[in-house]
Amino acid sequence: MSEAIFQFNQVNRLVLQNITFTLREEDRLIIFGPSGAGKSTLLHLFNRMDDPDQGEVLFHNKPIEQYDIPQLRRSVGLVLQQPHLFPDTVLDNLKFGPSLFDDWEEARAERLMDYVNLPIDYLNKSVDELSGGEKQRVSLARTLANKPDVLLLDEPTSALDDRNIEAIEEDLIRLIEHNHLTVAMVTHSMDQAKRIGTKGLYIEEGQVIEYGDINQLLENPNTEQLKQFLHKS
Amino acid sequence: MERDIPTYSLLLLIVFVMIPFTIAYIYQLGLKKEIIWSTVRGTLQLFLIGLILTYLFDLPPLVGIPIMLSVMILVATFHARKKGKELPYIFITILVGLIGVEIIVLSMWLGFGMISFTPEEVIPMSGMVIGNSMVAMGLALERLKSEFEQNRGKLLAALSLGATPKHAAHMSIKKTLNAALIPNIDQLKTIGLVQLPGMMTGLILGGVAPIIAIKYQLVISISIFSSVSLSAIFISMVMYRFFFNKQMQLLNLQDIKKNG
Repeated sequence: MSEAIFQFNQVNRLVLQNITFTLREEDRLIIFGPSGAGKSTLLHLFNRMDDPDQGEVLFHNKPIEQYDIPQLRRSVGLVLQQPHLFPDTVLDNLKFGPSLFDDWEEARAERLMDYVNLPIDYLNKSVDELSGGEKQRVSLARTLANKPDVLLLDEPTSALDDRNIEAIEEDLIRLIEHNHLTVAMVTHSMDQAKRIGTKGLYIEEGQVIEYGDINQLLENPNTEQLKQFLHKS
Repeated sequence: MERDIPTYSLLLLIVFVMIPFTIAYIYQLGLKKEIIWSTVRGTLQLFLIGLILTYLFDLPPLVGIPIMLSVMILVATFHARKKGKELPYIFITILVGLIGVEIIVLSMWLGFGMISFTPEEVIPMSGMVIGNSMVAMGLALERLKSEFEQNRGKLLAALSLGATPKHAAHMSIKKTLNAALIPNIDQLKTIGLVQLPGMMTGLILGGVAPIIAIKYQLVISISIFSSVSLSAIFISMVMYRFFFNKQMQLLNLQDIKKNG
């Protein structure tokens, strides 16, 4: 069995109750459930944008509090629902993270643009000139610029139209495989869950209802709750 | 010879007050009470200050000046803290800031022989510096809060990329300082062209030669400009920290209140 990257043991925070699961190397975990179930809160516990009230989170078998916070956030990258780009050029956005750690070389910019399928000459464009889809690509590239091992995705395509969603998904899958990333992703789309995920964690009212292989969960749900949720979505 | 305005002419000022009052009445602005109250209050305050100043000017400078400066700084602190009452240590921070600014400005004035240590010179000049610093701190606090509110997403993005609170807040602080300083820069640029500044007007009315009035005005304008900048920078640099916790997580105003 591959190495455990994250272990959540009986974690409580706000709506979340006794959350327990393990995220292994190169897992692509889909966190899903009704609105208000605590999905985003859960995602923020992975890189300490939030902390549990009770329970423990282990990262590489060590309590997460023992890591230097900026370094932890560097290796556990988060892509937010909205791009929230800094009001500069595309290049400035890509450099932001690595520059904090004195780890930026200009050559990386081109590779990043290639990952997210944007033309190189966009690097000197102001972010105000970009379309919604392009902005989300830059946001993704900005997180990847830090060379994270784990990628957290908080509904990264929810603000985009269908054509853009499909294109970004393809890029995502390609770059996750290429960089052997471990992923935790919140999504509302069960089709997206199936295309990107390997594992699934279904939560309702802050509790884990089902956890396992994503195809198993989506095709043969064990619980009434998940069956009903899938029926509705 | 000293000029004076006869008391009966002063009473005719009521005509000027009637103008905004009538406008408020016609357009039903709901400001009628406010206008009357602020006029009465302002008048009483000024006469009271006149009496106090007359008394203080008779005291030895080493007694009168510290008393008046303390009162001015305390009142300014109480007033400015309203703009940031959600933030912890706001009173003491503003107080320390205003005292610091006053000490710096006063040492320069006295050290370079620009003014003498008499209540007639120190108190009005300090009043202008403290008053403007108070406004600058208030503006900076309001702006800082709205920057943090509006840019939550960008701040979260910066933190999640590994930025420390200082780094993440850099952009918001920059904008706050810009907003707090630009009115002063503009004012300095057009000084004397659009309006003769208050102090100069006062001196000229009092019979001082314009060229001397200008010298005093220069001292006070530049002093106000630098103390306003100092105040805005000081309050922003101290206060931004409270928007984050020790775990480098972004707080919202309600949480700050709870923690503080």
